[in-house]
Amino acid sequence: MTAMLRIYQRLWQVNWAEQWQYRANLLMYLLYWMVSPIVYLAVWTAVANSQGSVGGLTANDFATYYLTLLLVDVLTSEITIHILGYKVQEGSLSVDLLKPMHPVLTSTLVYNLAFKALTLLVLVPVWVVLALLVQPDFSAVTLGNLLLAVPAVMLGFGISFVLGATVTCLAFWTTRIYSISEFYWALAVLFSGQFVPLELMPGALRPIAEALPFQLLKYFPIQLILGRAAPETILPNFMLGMAWLVAGLAVFLVVWKAGVKRYSAVGA
Amino acid sequence: MHTLRLLGTLVKINLQQDLAYRADAVVNILVNLMWLGWELLSLNILFSNTTSLGGWGLGEVVALLGVFRLVNTLMMSLIWPNTEKFNRGVREGTLDYTLLQPVNSLFLISFTRIILWRVWDLALAVTLIVWGVAASGGGATPASLFAFVLLVGSGAAVIYSLWIVMMAITFWLVKFDNNVTILQALLDAGRYPATVYPPWLRAVVTFIVPVAVATTVPLQALRGDLNAWQVLLFLGVGLGSVLVARRVWRAGVKKYSGASS
Repeated sequence: MTAMLRIYQRLWQVNWAEQWQYRANLLMYLLYWMVSPIVYLAVWTAVANSQGSVGGLTANDFATYYLTLLLVDVLTSEITIHILGYKVQEGSLSVDLLKPMHPVLTSTLVYNLAFKALTLLVLVPVWVVLALLVQPDFSAVTLGNLLLAVPAVMLGFGISFVLGATVTCLAFWTTRIYSISEFYWALAVLFSGQFVPLELMPGALRPIAEALPFQLLKYFPIQLILGRAAPETILPNFMLGMAWLVAGLAVFLVVWKAGVKRYSAVGA
Repeated sequence: MHTLRLLGTLVKINLQQDLAYRADAVVNILVNLMWLGWELLSLNILFSNTTSLGGWGLGEVVALLGVFRLVNTLMMSLIWPNTEKFNRGVREGTLDYTLLQPVNSLFLISFTRIILWRVWDLALAVTLIVWGVAASGGGATPASLFAFVLLVGSGAAVIYSLWIVMMAITFWLVKFDNNVTILQALLDAGRYPATVYPPWLRAVVTFIVPVAVATTVPLQALRGDLNAWQVLLFLGVGLGSVLVARRVWRAGVKKYSGASS
């Protein structure tokens, strides 16, 4: 156990030092991340302002929603495809496979976490400036809400990590992995609440969105933080999240094992 | 004439390259169709909750989406592939061979790599524009349509010029290899009319990274929001930016000393 912890600790030091060099580049990538929530914030706020409210949501509800989204998005997202995808394609994964540990559950995981920490470091000052510009009213956020959101955010990251890793594993079978991940990404954007709070989704799509895991990555934690989650939905959502996490992990382990077998069979 | 013949040859070479990856083209067309479905669905969600966005109707926003996709096609078929080639050239020194050719270097840098199957995106974008304009209720006059077409062209020229300037900056700062990332990042703001944005965001997408000049402004001309002087002003901006970009490019080439020296 302590040996495993030491491995994670060392991986963290290596990954942090490696990524620290690229902090200037990070600012550019952060722009990618931020523009679309800011655009939707502006669009929905304009609509809400012009007619008082949209489906019961006021302009301030939209402002707080998208500003919280900016933070939750970074906390629960993952970049596994960019870490692992090319390694599978170019064959440099072989080096990782030689190490006596699961490469995805150790070094890829820590890479994700280090990237997240660094991104937050750059994001927080930008976020503060943005909040000063938009001037949202966050008075509905309580300490209890925030504490409740901590496990939800961790669960959300866990789910997104195993799902992203599973999608990346498809690189063992196809070279068009980036197109597949674009499909996956579009699904996530639509059903996670990134474009629009789920209560504004058309009636037919809402039950689908609520059953899929994507809402647990963004919509659910945001609702918890803002104190808008209906009390009777909180426990079922945590259970749904646990189910997706366990199922996702199981599928990932199976796909990974089959993929690695195939990878060595190709002779890469 | 010579330039046209050269362009024809470049197109032929690129066609041969793209034909080698037919399956890639098909997959990419499918992904693109999916994004279109996504965009139309999100507009549907938006307009099922409201009847207008900053005074713009659904048809006008669909036409705007078409113009946005035109600019996006410019990014995807020309700007990204040529930038990649250019950045590699600066890093590894192969740019020397390009500069030594007895042709205008700016022309060669901008049009060497063209991803031709993106023509299909262009058709899709034009369809969206025509459909959107028709659905917006025939407020367009021949004059406003003419201004719209001219402004789409001049907007594209503004984006092109910004790209050239960003690449020229690489001559001074060699490590500046995400030179077009900022352009792509802010492009997303072109999907919606800039008039609904708060003033600070509108200022960013109008003056700093002028995405709105290429997307919102042509549509404003079509809606009849701009008077003749404003149309002329924006056409002037398009022409002026190309002239500035050419100057910056020449100064950059003078500064360039190769990767090895």
